[in-house]
Amino acid sequence: MRKRSRKGWRRVFNGVNLATLLVFLFIVLPLYWMIASSLKTPANVGATPPQYFPHPLSVENYHVAFTQYTFGRYILNSVIVAVVATVLVLVLGTFAGYALGRLPMRGKFTLLVTLLMISVFPEIAVVSPLYLLLRNLGWLNSYQALILPYAAFFLPFAIWIMRNYFLGIPQEMEESARIDGASPVRTLWSIILPQAWPGLFTAGVFTFTACWTEFLMALTFNSSNDLRTIPVGVALFGSQFTVPYGTIFAASVVAVVPIGVLVFIFRRSVVSGLTAGAVKG
Amino acid sequence: MTTGTTTTGVARPAPPRPRRDDAFRRQLARLGWGFTAPSLILIGAVTIFPILFSVIMSLSNVNVTGSGFKLSGVTGSNYSILIHSDQWRYALTFTVVYTVITVAIEVVLGTLIALVLERLTVGRGWMMALLLIPWSMITVINATLWGYIYNPTYGVLDDILSHLGLGTPVVLGTPLPAIIALMVADIWKTTPFVAIIVLAGLVMLPQDLYEAAEVDGANGWRTFWRITFPLLRPTIALAVLFRVLQAFGLFDLPFVLTNGGPGHSTTSLAILGYNTMFANFDFGPGAAVATSTAVLVLIGCLVFLRVFRAQVGKEA
Amino acid sequence: MIVLPTRTRGGRISLLVTALAATSALTLAACGSSGTSASGGSSKPSGSANSGTIVWWASPITTTTPDPRTVLINAFEKVHPNIHVRLQSAPNNTDTNRASLVTTISGGSASPDVFMGDVIWPAEFGAHQLAVPLSKYLKSSYWSTFAPGLVTGATYKGQIYGAPFFEDQGFLYYRKDLLRKEHLSVPKTWEQLESDAVMLKNKGLVKYGYVWQGASYEGLTCNFMEYLGSAGGSVLNSGLTKATVDSPAGQKALNFMRSLVTSGASPSAVTTFQEPQAMSAFATGQAAFLRNWDYGYSYANTASSPSKVVGKVGVAPLPGFPGQPYPGTSNIGGWNLYINPHSKNVAADLTFIKWMTGAAAQTILATKFSEIPTVQSVRSSEAVVRVNPVLATVPHTRLIPRPAQTPQYPKVSQAIFQNVNSVLAGSSSPTSALSTASNSINSAVSGSGL
Repeated sequence: MRKRSRKGWRRVFNGVNLATLLVFLFIVLPLYWMIASSLKTPANVGATPPQYFPHPLSVENYHVAFTQYTFGRYILNSVIVAVVATVLVLVLGTFAGYALGRLPMRGKFTLLVTLLMISVFPEIAVVSPLYLLLRNLGWLNSYQALILPYAAFFLPFAIWIMRNYFLGIPQEMEESARIDGASPVRTLWSIILPQAWPGLFTAGVFTFTACWTEFLMALTFNSSNDLRTIPVGVALFGSQFTVPYGTIFAASVVAVVPIGVLVFIFRRSVVSGLTAGAVKG
Repeated sequence: MTTGTTTTGVARPAPPRPRRDDAFRRQLARLGWGFTAPSLILIGAVTIFPILFSVIMSLSNVNVTGSGFKLSGVTGSNYSILIHSDQWRYALTFTVVYTVITVAIEVVLGTLIALVLERLTVGRGWMMALLLIPWSMITVINATLWGYIYNPTYGVLDDILSHLGLGTPVVLGTPLPAIIALMVADIWKTTPFVAIIVLAGLVMLPQDLYEAAEVDGANGWRTFWRITFPLLRPTIALAVLFRVLQAFGLFDLPFVLTNGGPGHSTTSLAILGYNTMFANFDFGPGAAVATSTAVLVLIGCLVFLRVFRAQVGKEA
Repeated sequence: MIVLPTRTRGGRISLLVTALAATSALTLAACGSSGTSASGGSSKPSGSANSGTIVWWASPITTTTPDPRTVLINAFEKVHPNIHVRLQSAPNNTDTNRASLVTTISGGSASPDVFMGDVIWPAEFGAHQLAVPLSKYLKSSYWSTFAPGLVTGATYKGQIYGAPFFEDQGFLYYRKDLLRKEHLSVPKTWEQLESDAVMLKNKGLVKYGYVWQGASYEGLTCNFMEYLGSAGGSVLNSGLTKATVDSPAGQKALNFMRSLVTSGASPSAVTTFQEPQAMSAFATGQAAFLRNWDYGYSYANTASSPSKVVGKVGVAPLPGFPGQPYPGTSNIGGWNLYINPHSKNVAADLTFIKWMTGAAAQTILATKFSEIPTVQSVRSSEAVVRVNPVLATVPHTRLIPRPAQTPQYPKVSQAIFQNVNSVLAGSSSPTSALSTASNSINSAVSGSGL
């Protein structure tokens, strides 16, 4: 396997590298600020001038988040809702994305555009009627009250993502599979899908994050404290005239850990599309 | 690797297809609908009623009461209120300009990051996990973090600026700096996701193209513009599409940081819609704001797809 | 261009789904929600007065532990052992709180039964029948126990919708040590306060002279009302049909607010200050004077807030303008208790409300949590007045409500705070701002415009 020659790139590479270093700093510094502030004592969070490094270091904010505000429960609820919704979206979205990308169906583009329109519709207008619908089904204050709307609203994006990545896979793969006698489902499952891991990864990250951070529906449909998710839980921190930055940041640090872990675990899936053996031979 | 055009470019009447192929195509099409049906059923069951209801609300006089929504009459008056309202026109302009600028910057930065990430052999996983943290932060918390940074009393930005001798500007208290502050916070949060989308597209590009380019002696930038970029078009278009859809719904940042102020300079369409519905209890005009936003975004997306000739809407 | 996909099975499925959804939509719209509580006429509330479970929706009152809401619920359940109260915590942001409530109640939910809501909600909620008119069940002997003005604020079209739960108002906090050092007495006029603030700032004793809430939000309307009321002005006429804010009193108030920034008495950053920022500036010792709600005293006297001015804080009524009565007017804030029209146990809700607004609960709120009671006898009682200087100042203040008697109040308030904020930031002149505000308010109360 030949490595790409870096000679021509090296000149540009350095410039690009420098720019990326700056961007990297831009991204990391506010993160540092959030983590550092979460480790300050609650009194020092509002200190003037601001403390650049927490002194003394304190986990008081984390303690308050978990004890005074039952944050652990909120995490559990968010995990359940986000995981189930994401799995649902990925399964349904993969099939639909493949069909809309590869199979000869009439009215595909219209359908895709309609799906886009659905995900475009502002949430604020949708919440009240959806509340009515859920109430009539008796599903308020339940996990499905969030899982199903999340899956429904985030599916269009996932379908678009999967479709896009399926389109990037060479058609010869399917043709050679068909010549080998594989059924379309088998083709999809064993041959195409492993190529589309980057798409699954992207769609998965997008959907999981969208479920994890959604606020308006979670606030309205699940008002009982045992079912509250993280974003709603954080809105309950503090009081009318107090914004407990330290506690909020502590909660946020804890809330991003699962996603960071998931991304790290699945990072290889982004590059697995490089295997090209099936076609080139 | 298939491409979209024939080599001759001359249209020739296609030979009649054998009937066996036709039957096969029909079978595939049925299979396609079978694959798509579960998604459609779920989406339809959940979203069609609320969306239809909102559209109907936008065309009636709505009174929200304890017994539900009382709709009366079919009228375009909600929309005409919008068109005659300075606030709505400003919100529209602001939201569009905001979207265009932030998305442009994010796409450029995101592609840059993706290009470098793709070349990283060690530590890529760590970088990706790190980069996705801003993206995965809850939007309200992101807004709170930036509120903490921009605060004139205990915020770190003013502290740094005063050490640099630039005084202590009241960032969120003046219209233009406030808008820029919002953009910075937004770009910070979402550039990483654009980078991931582009990265995923990048790794799927075939290597043989680059080999051919090297044989021809192309240098880095030329390779990128002539070869990589055109192939990345669908992916970048996808990223732009998503970001436009999200940026148009700009809500949490102005809600937490400026409450739509100073004055109404950071009142986006979503904030306007929210205030109209949930503060003023005017659900008719609020639904009109929402519906008109959706329609405008949709038109914008379609136009973009057309102009960009991205072929996101068509197969190769 | 649009292909109706009826020829394929999948296409037919999607069409069927659409049809189903549309039918359910129309059915639901026609049905509306389940029945509401008994209509007017009978004044016998539903449910049983002494047993049942009720859900109380309330945002956090303080950040300290123990939680006042839990303390009150426990005390209530001791007295009424057969009524069980379940607390549902509401978001801190009042707008989010209201958004959630209007969705829930208009959606027909029977829960929450009782909700704690802002004092500016009665007209809006009453006009849309989102709260039960309590005056139907509770007679004037009950309402006369409250401090004057509070019940009027909860009235809309002759019906009272909210029971005043605890009250709040604006106070002037000052640094006792600095005033003593410079031999200044507590300012009794706004102009005096302005010059004192400038002087203290110029001497380098504080970074900011006088801090208050000038950001573009509801709190600015509260601040503005205080200056406006002190100048003898008003926002709306008594019929609530015309804006009266563009008047000499309005000019005086707004010009003064602007001069606070231009003279340096207040920092230009005040245009971004909400309560937390102003409080923090004062509590970290950077300001000499602060206008804030009643929590300011306990906040400033708790070192872990953080506060560097423990023991150095004095409280006084707000100053007035020369030629106008002293003290200046303090804007009424606070929270009422409302009942959800769909509640299934209105009788128990009333029992709960009556207890929460009774002497026992009000005394707990005042003595344990330093909240201002709404019941007159408790407010002026020895035990409460002694709790802290804030509660001692309460009997000496003059109150002014926001013009929340109109259901269009949110638009009125927005017209005020957006325009006042723009004057403070220097983007518009007081004259043009008042005239813009006046026009917006007029179009709001006449029901037109966005």
